[in-house]
Amino acid sequence: MPASAVRKLLDYYGSSEACHEAVCRNDDGLKELISQRFYQLLYSTGTKENLEKLQKVMDRHGIRSLVFTDPGFPSSLHEIHDPPAILFMQGNKECLRDRSLAIVGSRTASYTGQKAAGRLAEDLGRHGITVISGLACGIDAAAHRGCLDGKGLTIAVVGNGLDRVYPADNLGLHDDILKNGGLIISEYAPGEKALGWHFPVRNRIIVGLSRALILMEARIRSGSMTSVNHALEQGKDVFVYPGDPASDCFEGNHQLLREGGLYFTSANDILEDLHWLDNPSAVRQNSDCVQGYKPSTPEEKTLMNALKPGALSFEQLIACTGLNPSVLMSTLTILQIRGVIEALPGKQYQIKH
Amino acid sequence: MASLLSFGVTGVNGYQVHVEVFGTESMPGIEIIGLPDASVKESKDRVNAAIINSGKQMNPRRITVNLAPADTKKEGPCFDLPIAVGMMIADGILIPDPPTDLKSVALFGELSLDGSVQPINGALPMVISAKENGISTVILPEKNACEVSCIQDIRILPVSHLRQVIAWFEGKMELAEQKQVSFEALKNEAVPVVDMAQIKGQKGARRAVEVAAAGGHNMLMIGVPGSGKTMLARCIPGILPPMTFEESLETTRIHSICGKLQAGKGLMVNRPFCAPHHNASVASLIGGGQDAKPGEVSLAHNGVLFLDELPEFSRSALEALRQPLEDGIVSVARVRRQAQYQSSFMLVAAMNPCPCGFYGSNRRTCRCTPPEIRRYLDRVSGPLLDRIDLQIEVDSVPINEINDSEPSESSAVVAARVRKAREIQLKRYEGTGKYCNAQLTNAEVKQFCTPDAEGTALLNAAVDSLHLSMRAYQRILKVARTIADLAGEETISSAHIAEAVQYRELDQKYWR
Repeated sequence: MPASAVRKLLDYYGSSEACHEAVCRNDDGLKELISQRFYQLLYSTGTKENLEKLQKVMDRHGIRSLVFTDPGFPSSLHEIHDPPAILFMQGNKECLRDRSLAIVGSRTASYTGQKAAGRLAEDLGRHGITVISGLACGIDAAAHRGCLDGKGLTIAVVGNGLDRVYPADNLGLHDDILKNGGLIISEYAPGEKALGWHFPVRNRIIVGLSRALILMEARIRSGSMTSVNHALEQGKDVFVYPGDPASDCFEGNHQLLREGGLYFTSANDILEDLHWLDNPSAVRQNSDCVQGYKPSTPEEKTLMNALKPGALSFEQLIACTGLNPSVLMSTLTILQIRGVIEALPGKQYQIKH
Repeated sequence: MASLLSFGVTGVNGYQVHVEVFGTESMPGIEIIGLPDASVKESKDRVNAAIINSGKQMNPRRITVNLAPADTKKEGPCFDLPIAVGMMIADGILIPDPPTDLKSVALFGELSLDGSVQPINGALPMVISAKENGISTVILPEKNACEVSCIQDIRILPVSHLRQVIAWFEGKMELAEQKQVSFEALKNEAVPVVDMAQIKGQKGARRAVEVAAAGGHNMLMIGVPGSGKTMLARCIPGILPPMTFEESLETTRIHSICGKLQAGKGLMVNRPFCAPHHNASVASLIGGGQDAKPGEVSLAHNGVLFLDELPEFSRSALEALRQPLEDGIVSVARVRRQAQYQSSFMLVAAMNPCPCGFYGSNRRTCRCTPPEIRRYLDRVSGPLLDRIDLQIEVDSVPINEINDSEPSESSAVVAARVRKAREIQLKRYEGTGKYCNAQLTNAEVKQFCTPDAEGTALLNAAVDSLHLSMRAYQRILKVARTIADLAGEETISSAHIAEAVQYRELDQKYWR
């Protein structure tokens, strides 16, 4: 049943208990409130056994439900168009707080995009910001993971019943979120499968729960862009990561930046824009800060200089530095071990930021 | 009654066969006994026609041909020639003059209807076996003469027509003896199939190939389509040290019984390069079939087995590679025949980084999801990867570098360095039965590949910060040993270790 129909019932009867009572005594008002189809659905599936079964599943997985009219229902969701009527939750409810930011982006994100998302989420988490995302692969997973690395709290809003994990690859991440005081939310009852159309719909909750949206990586026609549309409808700020303009992975980002998306390069920029920066020194740069590394040999120096403008492949490095392959390889290893540079897929190397 | 000597092949070894022919006055006909297979049975019709076309006329008699030992299955058309000669002698239409000692002559060859002698498979093991059996003269098809020309102390008489054989037995004509060719002379003719000078750019991969060849290490290349993986692999036989006479003999034997030798060429001097397609079955790779024939791993003996698109090979085929990789020998057992074939080869494999092929490429965007990439990589099992010392990524070369006229190093230059490194290894492992670093066991790694203090510290740091496994640790030490050998240094220093770490691409974080 759609959220709007359930909300109508809740509005009329005042609370979920009153609704239940009305259904039990077959109240006449029901038929006027909802259409014939939903009315029948209510009586065919809302049987006593089904409800008991549902309760059992919820108990087993530690799932709680919050109804639209409950006092604990996130107030930010009251303000959006078409809020969910019921929220199912698993984990620590304390995560729902004012200082929350959503990080969204492509499921098939580039390596650099994922790295950037992870780093940003880590800094935000360290600064006590709740990071909200959708537990999908790619940017979502990187953001959750990064936030956990920064010892922050993170919320995953998923598009399926909470008795299952989708995609199965993120099972480990799902468990880590719960273990580290995070929260998993869904508007779908346990038992519901992850259907394709659920995902763009749940995006409105991701955006609704957060103060602003951060777009890490998106093509122009993509699911992440529906999140951006939700954010614009809800009047939320949209921060856009300026990815590599040469890569078509970031074409959506650049279109948004042209249309007035907020530009940022670090967690600091976002916190400043939102006036959340109580103590500027609290935000560290990344843990593996290498600004101060002094090259110890001439080879290291030439290599570092060559890598300054950006990532280069092994062959390009040979051309740039003129080093012989075996010397270049050993220099790369030493700098990798020192944590100064990192290897990217495709035999590319870059200086760690 | 006539008795002649011939040879058959089982596995890679020849065995002596007595061809006995007996004629009686009875219902005319020919019968061949002694477990002949279909191609041997058919020989009677070929022989009949060939005798007539050589100007002889058989008397109508009943002829029995016995191939002894009678309990071994005989196969192939190689007995045509001795049967034909035996029949004529038994019939009395061919009288050896002077009476040749038939115990010192062996014959084999296939006959065609017009009497010409056709080449057969397995001539080399047959001649080797003939020599071992004390036979002084071998008459064989002209086209098989080259492959046995390196065998010394045995008279080889190549023939092209049955008429020549008849004339020789009758003492009317001398047969020209096959000139002996020394192996050294053959070696000078060796030319690498693909010269490394043809490879533009790819300096990193070239270096890796050199290291792999120097230590005999197995190698895996990962790269986008069109990055030159196949070409690099084809260069490897050319930079490996030249085959020794024994190695060449071993390899040529296997190729001889499979009929894969090039016509007019003697012993193989180029190391073999076998590149089976990825739909290859287990039997075709390892060996098998009714007659337990050798597979690609044995054809690649002493050479390179190249598996392109490694994850596309069937799981069972890849798993079957583990025994030959470990032991250098395969046992092929079938109901009718069992054989052991040598198969010590260098495995060179190539694969794309993901199903679409463009993961990590900066030229085209990869469209694969992380689980797809993982599933693709997981098709190559851990135990197989375990046996591959070098794993490198090959990036595609930009077009302007391909057109670059600056010449690359040629195979000859690289081969010289490789040979030097191999000599060092041969000396070090003298008496252990090993000849290259790749063959070291874990205990031997400890004995021969201990780096200096700085190197150890670096390796430990690398294991720590790059999250390398214990398995990778051993491999890095082995490869570092080879790098030090290439540099001509006795101790493994930190620079050698640092380079070796770069050859463990699959252990990098982003793959997992």
